[in-house]
Amino acid sequence: MALIQVDELVKVYPGGVRAVDDISFVVEEGEIFGFLGPNGAGKTTTIRVIVTLLKPTSGRVAVDGIDVVADPEPVRRRIGYAAQFIGVDDDLTAMENLVMQGRLHGLEPREAQRRSHELLEVLQLVEVAGRRAGTFSGGMRRRLDLGQALVHGPRVLFLDEPTTGLDPQTRRALWEYLRELNSRGVTIFLTTQYLEEADALATRLAIIDQGVIAIEGTPAALKRGLGGDAITVTLPDDAGPDATEQAARVLERFSDTGEAARFDRSARVFTAEAASRLAEVVRALDGASVKVARLEVSEPTLDDVFLRHTGSRMRVEESKPPSRLRMFGRGR
Amino acid sequence: MTRTLRESGILWARQMKKLVRIPLLLFFALAQPLIFLLLFSQVFTNLDRLPGFEYDSYLQFLVPSIVALTALNSAFQSGIGMVTDIESGMLDKFLIAPIRRSSVLLGKVFADATRSAAQATVIVLVSLLMGARFATGIPGVAAMTVLAALFGIAWAGLSNIIALRTRNGELTMIVGILITFPVLFLSTAFMPSILLPEWLDTVAKFNPITYIVEALRALVNTGWDWTAIAQALGVTGGLAVVTFAGATRAFRKAIE
Repeated sequence: MALIQVDELVKVYPGGVRAVDDISFVVEEGEIFGFLGPNGAGKTTTIRVIVTLLKPTSGRVAVDGIDVVADPEPVRRRIGYAAQFIGVDDDLTAMENLVMQGRLHGLEPREAQRRSHELLEVLQLVEVAGRRAGTFSGGMRRRLDLGQALVHGPRVLFLDEPTTGLDPQTRRALWEYLRELNSRGVTIFLTTQYLEEADALATRLAIIDQGVIAIEGTPAALKRGLGGDAITVTLPDDAGPDATEQAARVLERFSDTGEAARFDRSARVFTAEAASRLAEVVRALDGASVKVARLEVSEPTLDDVFLRHTGSRMRVEESKPPSRLRMFGRGR
Repeated sequence: MTRTLRESGILWARQMKKLVRIPLLLFFALAQPLIFLLLFSQVFTNLDRLPGFEYDSYLQFLVPSIVALTALNSAFQSGIGMVTDIESGMLDKFLIAPIRRSSVLLGKVFADATRSAAQATVIVLVSLLMGARFATGIPGVAAMTVLAALFGIAWAGLSNIIALRTRNGELTMIVGILITFPVLFLSTAFMPSILLPEWLDTVAKFNPITYIVEALRALVNTGWDWTAIAQALGVTGGLAVVTFAGATRAFRKAIE
């Protein structure tokens, strides 16, 4: 039985916004399942439905076989959730925040203390255990929030954009920790808008765009599905749209998977044995009198996968997400 | 029952920790009522010469009103904390925990009650220093704190309704401030019933503040007036039930 099962989930907000439009997927025990998509794709809505904070419009969601709408309490006992917006009490110390969460999850005081101390050590917050969370840096708050989601030892951990706003070094450290958690048996469901993060962490991922799952699979399989390595032609700065179109047409002759992707002054196709066919490509471009600034062969990326299946490139926005007040508890 | 108590106890403890962690907030919440206690008791000191004013001094008359004012002040801050919890993500943290929904609101209510009781005690102590005398002694003071706590719960419920409906801390605060003085002046808090204009005296009879103030006033000045205490418990308790039911409704709507 799948640990998380989502069937035909639809969420329409009052006002008619279809944030999630009929998605289905499963997450098996032991996976690191990545939900990759741009801002506004429906990632947070999906996660909030699964963690029992939001009622779905229709569809069925179950965690460990338990319906999240009909029977939310046992679901809450099995999960930990760290939201995109960090929820720590600034007036309480790191230790007090953790102990409170542990107690709310039913741990006895002594057990809550012990677990909190353990987590503070693991998350390298032990030196600031007695300091008010309000004095913490972004990275420290993020770690504390993660600790809060873990204090009761959940079977599955939900992380909504866990590394947004973190510096690269902290981000990598967090990835390392999440892998370690996973190796100890914790299933992880994470949303991200970073291709690199999905690639590095997820054992399997679903690409979501505009409320719909475009495709799912392991990162390697998704990339393999493109049919080979990428050949990219980049034209000089003065090249017009016609020249780009012409280059794309030429490239399509070498494509195993149909149309070339067209960008601003560049085009890309995927083909098996791309490197060995490069000479042919050069000759063909030359024959069509296409002026080339750069020609390269590269391994396909998740960005390519995203483009192939959604028709647009992944847009990463570091802008501030919408206010929590508007996000919070939108009705059925 | 024990489960609800345990859960709301954890959240009560959180509020208490927050309260003592920012002592300045407590200080300023008490500063205004204390200033009023000092100023009013001086400015209106000669009211006791008016025919019909049957208290030993205006101070004796005023102490219960200041207890009520203090409770109102902190009650109207309750909703602001609710908005902060929504904004900071803390409420999500409580909702994701396997606890009863009602425990979240109850923990807050218990904390509001504790705060009102503690502040009432401070007001009583200061008024003692100023020369006030308590007819019912220490048991009477204990009864006053209990009534003040109930009174605080009743009005904190209203503040939470406003907070959950508007989800705006500033608005919640402004509405609270706006309500405080009219409801106090439209009661017998600052002038005995007999000295109020007739229309105002009528209004005061429908004002729940009048009943709590009269019961507290009896405890300070005359003794155990069980009729007044029963009326205060009935009216304030009734108000608490109504506002708490309203707050529960608003809460359920907000987290749906």
